[in-house]
Amino acid sequence: MRIELLEKIEGEAFLKFQKDKKIITDVKVIFPHYRGIEEILRGRNPWDALVINPRICGICGHAHLQATAMVLESIFQITITQKAQKIREITRFCEIIQNHIKWFYLVIFHELGILYDFTKVHHLIITINKLLALFSGQWPHSSYCVIGGVTCDPTSFEIYQAKTLIRQIKDQFIQLIGELHDPLNLTNDLQKLYHTLQEKELLLVGKSHDRFITFSQDSHVSNIKLLHGQKRKTKLTLIEENEQKRSYAKNVTYNGKYYETGPLARLMQQTDPFIRYFHRRFKDSITTRIIARIYEVSLLIEKIIDHLATIDLSQPSVVESKMQDGTAIISIEAARGSLIHQATIHQGKIETYNIITPTQWNLSNGTSQNPSVIQKAIIGTSDEKIANLIFRSFDICSVCTTH
Amino acid sequence: MNREHLRSLFTTKSARVETNRGEAYYARLYEQCKARLEELKKIEPLRKISIKEILEDEGVSRRDFLKWASATTAMLMLPSSFTPLVAEAAELMTRVPVIWIELQDCAGNSEAFIRSDGPKVDDIILEIISLEFQETLMAAAGHQAEAQLEDAMEHFKGKYLLFVEGAIPVGPGREWCTIGASGETFEEHLKRVAKDAAAIVAVGTCATFGGVPAAAPNPTGAVGVMDIVNDKPIINIPACPANPANMVGVILHYVLTGQIPELDSLLRPKFAFGYRIHDNCERRAHFDAGEFVEEWGDEGAKNNFCLYKMGCKGPMTFNNCSIVRYNESVNWPIGSGHGCIGCSEPGFWDKYAYERPMADANIKMAPGGGVEKSVDEFGLGLLTAAGVGIAIHAAASAIAGKKSEGEE
Ligand code: SF4
Ligand code: SF4
Repeated sequence: MRIELLEKIEGEAFLKFQKDKKIITDVKVIFPHYRGIEEILRGRNPWDALVINPRICGICGHAHLQATAMVLESIFQITITQKAQKIREITRFCEIIQNHIKWFYLVIFHELGILYDFTKVHHLIITINKLLALFSGQWPHSSYCVIGGVTCDPTSFEIYQAKTLIRQIKDQFIQLIGELHDPLNLTNDLQKLYHTLQEKELLLVGKSHDRFITFSQDSHVSNIKLLHGQKRKTKLTLIEENEQKRSYAKNVTYNGKYYETGPLARLMQQTDPFIRYFHRRFKDSITTRIIARIYEVSLLIEKIIDHLATIDLSQPSVVESKMQDGTAIISIEAARGSLIHQATIHQGKIETYNIITPTQWNLSNGTSQNPSVIQKAIIGTSDEKIANLIFRSFDICSVCTTH
Repeated sequence: MNREHLRSLFTTKSARVETNRGEAYYARLYEQCKARLEELKKIEPLRKISIKEILEDEGVSRRDFLKWASATTAMLMLPSSFTPLVAEAAELMTRVPVIWIELQDCAGNSEAFIRSDGPKVDDIILEIISLEFQETLMAAAGHQAEAQLEDAMEHFKGKYLLFVEGAIPVGPGREWCTIGASGETFEEHLKRVAKDAAAIVAVGTCATFGGVPAAAPNPTGAVGVMDIVNDKPIINIPACPANPANMVGVILHYVLTGQIPELDSLLRPKFAFGYRIHDNCERRAHFDAGEFVEEWGDEGAKNNFCLYKMGCKGPMTFNNCSIVRYNESVNWPIGSGHGCIGCSEPGFWDKYAYERPMADANIKMAPGGGVEKSVDEFGLGLLTAAGVGIAIHAAASAIAGKKSEGEE
């Protein structure tokens, strides 16, 4: 058995391979870190969770902040305004966009040895962060989102600035990645990626169960699971989370099955011809998974443009809230897939708080009869380097997972 | 509490920073820096990159660059006559090797650092510093990366600046976090990499004071770097995440003077942590006029009134975000209508990080740490610099403090 240490993800993880002759017959994923955030939350005032939870992750802190607000709003039975909703989506979509870009270049291009223009990429990320900061104060780790809405109160001046920035982002993105209209005619860096995968005969590696799940509901996705091409609504009660030996990450299944979450799962809900084209040809291989993540950026840019055009500034930013006891479970889309927060408030204090991160969905450890998403994708591969690439195609986040 | 009382509480002479130390002092420092830069020039650069070329390529004119240098000189609290030296130091950044390790963290500081905002010149400078090891940025991963770290430590023995991100769990019972295939604990790892560092920069509140993992009940027994390493100069850059401008400032100061910057009693560089948020806050006039936001989203909020009553910790928090701001200076937390959460202070999680006004805060007690309850105690405790309930390693503080004061 060989242990492969992996970094260049956010944090650290190990892959343990089992081989028969040259073929990988089993793989286990181990996360060796732990911080104990769920324990830290216990017994605190619910508002504290708004400051602590974003620190679960330096990359998707917005998603954690918003998930925290949402689960508490659900317990306190509060509905936020359209304006607050749109601002939250704009900032969260920006966070997702900059994560995808960074992953595409720093992880995938590095891994495949493709050259790129770091300065251009860097400037694109900075422009996205500027747009984010307009509403959220700073990135990463902001605190503008509270129970009942958002604290920022943008005027038409900020909206105008945001519109200018999103136009720049769109231009810079197209300059780097190319236009994404015609799957048969890829250009710029996306073409580079495709050609490299083709040359290295990697187009078809990393296929998994072809089962997808998203639990969230927003202007981009719906809570839907896809099994054998059949769409069904999800029930959060069918989620099961289990501790594992020797790893601080917990396993998670839906109705006993492992599902893939993330950009590909989100896009498979839609009848978008661009991503369908790749899925028809390469199924849920690394090719489709990588392209989905980068294609999603173009969709989210359009969503932000739309939100900026339709936001109603006359609405209040925050609605009044009153603490109540109760339990709730909610889901929100983070860069890497559906993030789930569950909380119980008892006598005004957090009694339990449970977090299930997207990486847990994709990187659980199953059995040989019931392999997890990552296991199914890697087993049968004959090269550890390729196995690594498959692993990274999920954009794993260890700091999130080992909260 | 009446406003007069509030005002007097917050306008007393707090830890004042000395921005003018007299001509003789600066003349001596100037000569010292010049000599240092001459020495550096003799060293082979670690990376064959010319900052001049890159700046030109990026369309940054000499004039823009000097503007940046003069702003940075001011940030480092040096007289403007040092501007040419700062510019020269920036060009010599490739001579100082930096190793960056991540421990019990959320990667937030790496994220802030690699997307460093600030003026464009800062980005370019970060691209050219000799980052010999940084997991997220470097090409290598896994075993290859481990080998690269060993190489860098060996090659730059005694010369590298070690940046540490994340806390160190030392709790009993379990080996909470390990690193690498050998299963080395974070504590062992830190000690090993720290051994041959010239100085250590702890970035973020986790690495400085334990941060989020150290919040009560501190399940893993997390502590900061200065609780583990006590025979090296340590510079703390707390905040969650630390402002990249301050990270660049520390490196630049080191290149320029060969020393670590002057530190306060918590080992924080005074150039960045010499003032409170409240001293330079854009809402300060409203504080003085007694105009407060009373509820999220009220008329006061729409008019950018002071956030003190919503729990703003600006009056007790030493940091320069109100001046430097974030993400290309677009904004900062108070600008987005939320009070300061005191993320750069020790005990952030248990003493500061709650969302309610301080007067009626019901705070979870840190194990073994007393917690002030009322505004008065809170403010006074800090303003007299006595009530900070944190155990600092006297040794580390004495060594680092003396060094910077004695040599500068
Ligand atoms: S100090 Fe804050 S930003 Fe930094 S690693 Fe810790 S939690 Fe993350
Ligand atoms: S918002 Fe905070 S930092 Fe600013 S003036 Fe008010 S209390 Fe001071």
